[in-house]
Amino acid sequence: MSFISAENVKFSYDEENKNVLNDVSLTIEKGEFVALLGHNGCGKSTMAKLLNGMLTPDEGVVVVDSIDTKNEEMTYEIRSKVGLVLQNPDNQLVASIIEEDVAFGPENLGIEPSEIRRRVDESLKAVGMYEYRRHAPHKLSGGQKQRVAIAGILAMEPSCVVFDEPTAMLDPNGREEVMRAINALKEKGITIVLITHYMNEAVLADRVVVMDGGKVLLQGTPREVFSEVPTLKRHCLDVPQATELAYRLIGAGVRFTDMPLNVEECVSFLEEVLG
Amino acid sequence: MIRDVSFGQFIPGKSLIHRLDPRFKMVLLIAHIVLIFCTFNFASLGIVTAATIGLILISGVPFKMYVKSLKVVLIIVIITSLLNIFYGSGDPIFQLGFIKITLEGIFRAVFVSVRIILLILISSALTFTTSPTDLTDAIERLMSPLKVLHIKVHEIAMMMTIALRFVPTLLEETDKIMSAQKARGADMESGGLFKKVKALTPVLIPLFVSAFRRAYELAVAMECRCYRGGDGRTRMKTLRAMPLDYFAVLIECILLAGIIVCNVFLTSVI
Repeated sequence: MSFISAENVKFSYDEENKNVLNDVSLTIEKGEFVALLGHNGCGKSTMAKLLNGMLTPDEGVVVVDSIDTKNEEMTYEIRSKVGLVLQNPDNQLVASIIEEDVAFGPENLGIEPSEIRRRVDESLKAVGMYEYRRHAPHKLSGGQKQRVAIAGILAMEPSCVVFDEPTAMLDPNGREEVMRAINALKEKGITIVLITHYMNEAVLADRVVVMDGGKVLLQGTPREVFSEVPTLKRHCLDVPQATELAYRLIGAGVRFTDMPLNVEECVSFLEEVLG
Repeated sequence: MIRDVSFGQFIPGKSLIHRLDPRFKMVLLIAHIVLIFCTFNFASLGIVTAATIGLILISGVPFKMYVKSLKVVLIIVIITSLLNIFYGSGDPIFQLGFIKITLEGIFRAVFVSVRIILLILISSALTFTTSPTDLTDAIERLMSPLKVLHIKVHEIAMMMTIALRFVPTLLEETDKIMSAQKARGADMESGGLFKKVKALTPVLIPLFVSAFRRAYELAVAMECRCYRGGDGRTRMKTLRAMPLDYFAVLIECILLAGIIVCNVFLTSVI
């Protein structure tokens, strides 16, 4: 059975408005890295909040590790299994000292002080922020703050972390730092759901899910999904630059063996074409 | 600009005072303030002054920081001591029309100004040597008996923690909004006080809106991290009283004894 499964989920924020999510079915396997794409207002963030039980579906069910998210007694169990990292790093940090902030989650779970200490140190090391443990958050860069926020979720020892556009407010350096931290989590076997606008981040995933108008439009490996350039374009979505270039070259009659996803692949395919 | 506020600043260090348990520090601060106001003759005032100066020397915080914090209350010290000079009773040693100055008035002025200065020094010593989180922690733990009276001690401490956490963030934001409004031609420097206060409206409104949005996002983030109030919550840092803390209590008791002796055996001058 899948780690998270959403079946025929419908959701709206209030009765008058139309559904934000309209019959979405999605499964996420243990240890998988799934990227969730879609333009603004397609229901990605709502989906993120449904996955950890912050919101519950109006119709349909979301099941996390065999627990229905509608089960109110298990709310905190679900939230500690599925961590959620939000977009703005500033608004996720609670305490004025990094290590105390990271301790916030495990403290809420009522864990023993010595165990909290161990988890805090381990999580800070996992995101490479251990040396900053006594610092104040407002003196850190955006990327560093976001890594602290990730450590804060990690300290609850979740099986899955959902990232809701974690790099949207960061500069290129910060984006790279955060992506490196996310990759480190994947290496540890943590399931990752990454919601993003950056296609070069999405190509790192095992599976890409494209949402539009509250529905799942496409899903598959990054190569499968990004090969559907016309469909993506029709729904106002970007493809990685290398793919876009290849797509136009193919349109102009150049024969590519496969769709390139990054610059290196594109170069090697072009070399092949040019002999 | 607005960021260089020195009041209540924490200065990291490793002095004996830094290492004291924050709960003990807070209780001892209150005890010391009571002592400061129980001085009625020069001997006891001298003892308290010496003890306070000794403490700020041990604290290892640069002396200029203390001077900086005193600057803020200088006006209050001057006004209260002037008032006291003119309101003393007894034989005037100087009289000019309705103004008369008595020896008691001068003594009163000296005592009041020294007391205020000591009060500021000792309170600054607490904030300089204790991190804000330690302080809120100490307040939460010292107030925890009040839970019996259904006072939401944990919630109060949580609010203080969040407030302290967001002070620098909101100051930075205020700076940004001010620059943004200036770039759009807002005039914040010219005009009288009333005009200046009015000119702050375009700064305060966006600041409020953004603060509410931050509050909402923070609440979501806190819920994602399983926050559900103080019940069943544990803490990473557990405070434990050390021999040093009891030693500090002992010193404060000796001071108290000294002052009681002075007050009993010497006559009060005010």
